[in-house]
Amino acid sequence: MRRITLILREEVDPYLPIEAESICPETLSKRVDVTVFVGNEEKKLKDVFDIRVDGEAAGPAATEIILVGDCHQVKRVGEYMTDGKIIVDGDVGMHCGDFMNGGTIEILGNAGDWLGREMLDGKIICHGNAGNYCGSGYRGGRKGVRGGEIFVAGNVGDYCAECLFGGVIHVKGDAGIHAGSNMKGGKLLIEGDCLMPCGDMFAGEATVYGHVTDFLPTFKETGTIIEDGHHLTVFQGDVAHRNAKGTLRVGSFDRI
Amino acid sequence: MDYIINNAYVVDPINKISGEIRDIFVSNGRITDEEPKGAEVIDAGGCLTLPGGIDSHTHICGTKVNFGRYMSPEDMRAGRAPRRKGMRAVSGYSIPTTYGNSYRYALMGYTTLTEGAMAPLEARHTHEEFKHTPLQDGLILTLFDGDWGLMRAVASGDIKRAAALIAWRLDAVKGYGVKLTNPLGAEMWSWGKNVECIRKPIPDFDLSPAEYIKGVIEANEMLGLPHSVHLHCNNLGKPGNYTCTIGTMGLVPDLNEKRQTCYLTHVQFHSYGGTGWNDFCSKSEPVANTVNLRPQITIDMGQVMFGRTTTMTADGPMEFNLYRLHQDKWSNHDVELETASGVIPVIYRRKNLVNSIMWAIGLELALQVKNPWQCLLTTDNPNGAPFVKYPEIIGLLMSKEYRDREFATVHPKTGTRVILPSLDREMTFEEIAVMTRAGQARALGLIDRGKGHLGLGAEGDIAIYPIKPDKIDPSKQYAEIIRGFAQTKYTMKLGVMISKEDEIVADNQNRTFWCSPKVPEAYDMSKDPDLIRTFDRYYSIRMENYAVDEDYYLTKSMKIETETTL
Repeated sequence: MRRITLILREEVDPYLPIEAESICPETLSKRVDVTVFVGNEEKKLKDVFDIRVDGEAAGPAATEIILVGDCHQVKRVGEYMTDGKIIVDGDVGMHCGDFMNGGTIEILGNAGDWLGREMLDGKIICHGNAGNYCGSGYRGGRKGVRGGEIFVAGNVGDYCAECLFGGVIHVKGDAGIHAGSNMKGGKLLIEGDCLMPCGDMFAGEATVYGHVTDFLPTFKETGTIIEDGHHLTVFQGDVAHRNAKGTLRVGSFDRI
Repeated sequence: MDYIINNAYVVDPINKISGEIRDIFVSNGRITDEEPKGAEVIDAGGCLTLPGGIDSHTHICGTKVNFGRYMSPEDMRAGRAPRRKGMRAVSGYSIPTTYGNSYRYALMGYTTLTEGAMAPLEARHTHEEFKHTPLQDGLILTLFDGDWGLMRAVASGDIKRAAALIAWRLDAVKGYGVKLTNPLGAEMWSWGKNVECIRKPIPDFDLSPAEYIKGVIEANEMLGLPHSVHLHCNNLGKPGNYTCTIGTMGLVPDLNEKRQTCYLTHVQFHSYGGTGWNDFCSKSEPVANTVNLRPQITIDMGQVMFGRTTTMTADGPMEFNLYRLHQDKWSNHDVELETASGVIPVIYRRKNLVNSIMWAIGLELALQVKNPWQCLLTTDNPNGAPFVKYPEIIGLLMSKEYRDREFATVHPKTGTRVILPSLDREMTFEEIAVMTRAGQARALGLIDRGKGHLGLGAEGDIAIYPIKPDKIDPSKQYAEIIRGFAQTKYTMKLGVMISKEDEIVADNQNRTFWCSPKVPEAYDMSKDPDLIRTFDRYYSIRMENYAVDEDYYLTKSMKIETETTL
């Protein structure tokens, strides 16, 4: 087991973005002598973080990376990771866990936008809030998250689970506008409230325990159920789309 | 820099050279017969040497292409390449950045490109993008399919006025030729409708597409333009539309001895049989036979290749139908008093019967038109496929074995709807040279300007491919043919080396060719009260602001003045 602790140095300008796709068990299990971009300058990882390495690793699976400090400007942490574990003790920046294919990312603070974008497998746990496009696809893409699991204990921003294709996205708090739009599969669960969810839904299951503001008129009511003590109304849709097979369950709603 | 190219295996159909080993001298951008002093010597080593490629129908610049870029951000994630020495960073697959287009065309040996459709009102944007397509000469065809003035002139039988209007507008927007896309369809599309074939007159103008096409062809010939009318027929992409295509071909008189009188583009999309998508089938045979009987017609294939691409055309109603079929993102646009357009991303799939039949029809057309000068190689980039698929199409045309192998991978029912497996023709290097260069130069009227051949005085547009025709059997070694045509050893444009192996070594070589017919004073439309009134009443832009400024918008302007018979 190898544990790599990265502590963000205080002298790093908090207004410069840090592109750090190298902070990933694949890379750091082999060597820590890698580079990151700070603004438009290429720098050594050790110039940006204080690094502490404990133990030896047999591979990415036996690697744990701990990021310490306010890393809200550190982007692309854990991009393309396939195994191992990343723990962020604080906030993390945009695109954390992009294209992730395995392993676990645990964020103790808040996550930036695009958390777990287009992930294939693995697990992301965020104890704080996540930004916009949490668990979504990228602009214009037809397939978003295809597998894996994202859990957000706080709230998420807009366009959560856009183009969801597989996997599970679970939000304890509220979601912004257009959660689950263009959904094509997978499961979305929002325990709080949200606004206009699941526009142009093709297939998949979405559940909102709380209140839906401006519920879309293009959903067909099919019945009611009780799930975990929540009384939910079940809808099929989005019938604006031909052959829609999606299921949307909501606690309460007001139509546009 | 002057060049001496030694040991080139030259195929130059215009000068009747087919496979001679000879030396080529390039001096001051032109081909000479005297050995230039102090020239750089290139050893072609017996490799296939052709004139620079010409694409007679592609969509690479303009508002339509740019809108395709806006609406498909996912396309920009493909085809990314970082900046290199002398090359800019590029991205995009079916609708790449202008530099991406230019570099990829240059690597394939292409030196002249024709933007297939420009809405006159949006000419500035098209010229701006051409300015940033650094390695190819540009010709821009101008849309006249829904031009109110022209429609009124043809409807009243005043062909001379129609010719004068075309002349004024080409001169104003710096266009090269006349493009008709789904004639009169754009006007009907403003009312949410479309035209049905060619005989039924449209309301308000009391004019049928047939009359309009004939009138515009006549006007085009009066102006003595180098290119003929460039026609995208009515009823694109509808099952059973081949009758309409053959009917349209029947309208074309033989008016010009140097070139065709009408150029029908992407005929693959117009050779469909059946009454609906369930009994959809190929009708390439009657269409190809009609072409064989009519030397006044040239067509291009509009070959469909499997994969992801973006369709874009001025045929607005067709794009709306396509949207209803795919239910994906879609855009339609109306250009005031002039034309319309639409953009939709599509994916052609092998598993799809309709797509498989479409793929076969393009090849059937090329193989059945006897004279390669009458059928040119295009994909209607990016409608049928992005132009980077050209080498594969060349491979398919040159090798029956490759065709059969590909045919085995398409939808199993395709065999009952097409005749492709029964066609044995395998094209030679000479025929390919005609379809991609010589024929294109003749169709566009560029032979006099020194394009499409390697004779004395021709422009030094040369493409040397890493293919040794003596030592290769294209019908068997098609994989090498595809690799060879995908990337030249050297590409030269006007005597300047623009690419070497996979590196781009030049910049800012582009010129824009445009036509300015010399019309008599009486037909000078800039003083025509009717046209001035049209601008004042209906256009959102003043007539003085309409014309494209030559100094600012055209990088290097190549004005072609033509003699008219008005």
